[in-house]
Amino acid sequence: MKRIQNFAPEGFIALDNSALIYPPTEAVFNANTFRVSMDFSFTIKKTILEQALHDLLYRCSYAKVRLHTGFFWYYLSPNDAEPVVHEEGSYPSGRFAFKENNGYLFKVLYSEHRIALECFHALTDGSGAMNYLKLLVERYCHHAGIQQVKFSSGLDYKVRPTKQEFSDPFQHLYDKHVPSYPTISKAYHRKGNGPFDDRVKVISATILTEQIKERAKERSLTIGEYLSSVYLYSLQQLQIEEIPNQKQRKPIRLSVPMNLRRIFGYDTMRNFTLFAVVGIEPALGFYEFDEIATEVHLQMVQAQSKKRLLSQIKRNVSGERIPIIRFAPTALKNPLFKLLSDFLGDDQYSGVISNLGYVALPSQLENQVVRCDFHLSPGLLNKISLSVIGYLDRIVVNFNSFYATDTSLERIFCTFLVEDGIQVEIATNRENTR
Amino acid sequence: MAYCVRCGVKLASGAKTCPLCGTEVLLPPGMEEPSSEPLFAKKLPPEGTRGITKARKGLVELIVALFVVSEITVGLSLFFSGALSYAFIPLFCIAMAAISLIAVVLAKPRYVNHASWQSLIAAILLLGLDGYDLTWAWSLIAAGGIAMFWMYGVFPWTRWAKKYAKGSVALSVLTTLFYVALINVVVSGSFTWFLPVAIPTLLALLVGSSLFLFWFANRKGNRIPIADIVLGSMVVLFISSAVFDGALTRYQTGAVYLRWASSLLVSAIVILLFMVAVSLSLRLRRYFTSHNRHD
Repeated sequence: MKRIQNFAPEGFIALDNSALIYPPTEAVFNANTFRVSMDFSFTIKKTILEQALHDLLYRCSYAKVRLHTGFFWYYLSPNDAEPVVHEEGSYPSGRFAFKENNGYLFKVLYSEHRIALECFHALTDGSGAMNYLKLLVERYCHHAGIQQVKFSSGLDYKVRPTKQEFSDPFQHLYDKHVPSYPTISKAYHRKGNGPFDDRVKVISATILTEQIKERAKERSLTIGEYLSSVYLYSLQQLQIEEIPNQKQRKPIRLSVPMNLRRIFGYDTMRNFTLFAVVGIEPALGFYEFDEIATEVHLQMVQAQSKKRLLSQIKRNVSGERIPIIRFAPTALKNPLFKLLSDFLGDDQYSGVISNLGYVALPSQLENQVVRCDFHLSPGLLNKISLSVIGYLDRIVVNFNSFYATDTSLERIFCTFLVEDGIQVEIATNRENTR
Repeated sequence: MAYCVRCGVKLASGAKTCPLCGTEVLLPPGMEEPSSEPLFAKKLPPEGTRGITKARKGLVELIVALFVVSEITVGLSLFFSGALSYAFIPLFCIAMAAISLIAVVLAKPRYVNHASWQSLIAAILLLGLDGYDLTWAWSLIAAGGIAMFWMYGVFPWTRWAKKYAKGSVALSVLTTLFYVALINVVVSGSFTWFLPVAIPTLLALLVGSSLFLFWFANRKGNRIPIADIVLGSMVVLFISSAVFDGALTRYQTGAVYLRWASSLLVSAIVILLFMVAVSLSLRLRRYFTSHNRHD
């Protein structure tokens, strides 16, 4: 259990265990990026945002890094280049152009009313990025003279960063005596209809928290569990259309990232997420929604057990520590990581639903924030990802898709919500609807 | 704000269709909604970015890594066994195998692309194997053979050939002539039988084929019976064989006569007469065919 921390704030910074897979597998249709953003009622000014970004990097020196390809591993090193503030483009969570971004692993974007932070997953996870965004907004408001705001959770600008903020908790929690987590069979993957390209097409569904909370409570579920159940239910409908023979239907599973900070009590700003895999076995027969909900609830409770999480951590970290892997050159590891990431990752689930949770806004900003968003890049096997974020009295479910025209999953999902008595408001960046 | 009548979802202000099901939004006459702020600042660009997918990239990297390891291993083993002077051929073969595999992974999955790349790589491999001492002999004929395969087995399916059909036929004929000349030069060291034997034979083949194509193309109706194509091909081949026999006899003995192709020539004339007769006489045509395809 005891291990000396493998970071050095200056010079050479090792990637955290969870981040190791992202640089070698980065490719078209596999951007490994995500975006968090806030829309405001006031106009965003670039010069002020640049000041805020400088403050952010002053406070979070560990984010001031660039990615290098080492002989054995990818690693981070301090980045002295000027950070760049970009004007927002046409779609979120695309491939990260490191050169255009002066080597930084995160990108600050702005439009007339929006501040967005797009991150390459090797730097941090969704919760970490949200903390960066909160600090950025705080500093923006400070420099813009709007109001002194302070988010209830997140980083404090005036406090020096603690060691824990850039530690890799996976290494602390690794216990070689725990058995490794078992691998699972291949899951169902939608074929989808029509063409696809690597532009992320978004359909954004906005829901009133009160309504969805009520529906979830009726079934003794959390909001995340309820949405996962709807997602599974929608995938089941599509699978029935695609594979009429019941026996041939593969399991439908979802990968649900879990924020481990609360479970293990760490305050790191690096990746600290594991994936709960929840699913159903349609080969056994048709699942009614309530049956799916029960399955999801039980599986989520099981997945959050500390013992199971430690076993997953053991599996992930022990892979990194195998001597032949550790001392193999990056040139040999890279292709293997690329080929194995499908077999050990994407192959095992049929979709991703990432719930960033509720963003508590400071009272001064409640009337100023119009909207919050969270976007997650989809992959080649699972061409649609769902990202969920809550703010004020709303929940935004973003469907990020590579499909050019196929919106059947989104339709079934939203229609189910409407039929369940939840009002859904739709917006999109798809061109044919405007 | 409108609702989709099919899905029941609330749509963004100014939406023309439902993003989920494509149902058109119909507002009462005279009523217009202001467009809401778009989800992102700019419109989607017309095309996505391009690149190699993760699995393909992984395969290419794996091939390159194995290539480097094999080259080093073979190079070192040859060096330590004192056979470094023979290193070119194995190292070159490994490199060409790696390039061939990478071409398989990277080329677009079309017959023309794969066949073109593999033909080129095979030709370079043969030229490389033959020319390690910077002299080329048999590989020129072999590589030319591959080029001929490409010309007749791949080129007709390219876009260019489909667009310029006549030009591509002319190019094929010229390539064939060039290849035959190349064989003559490589085998004999200069033009020997190419001018007196090959040129008349190829000319007979070309003229015969052209005449038949012209004849078939100017027939009434578009359908040409397979029997006519087979018979026409036989006539052209038999006459070309006779010309070849005559030219070869003259080249070898100086006399003008046919040694073995006289029966072929007679057969060609009989078939040709039959074809002409069938073409001219309706009664004959009906006698030999079950239905009239010539009209």
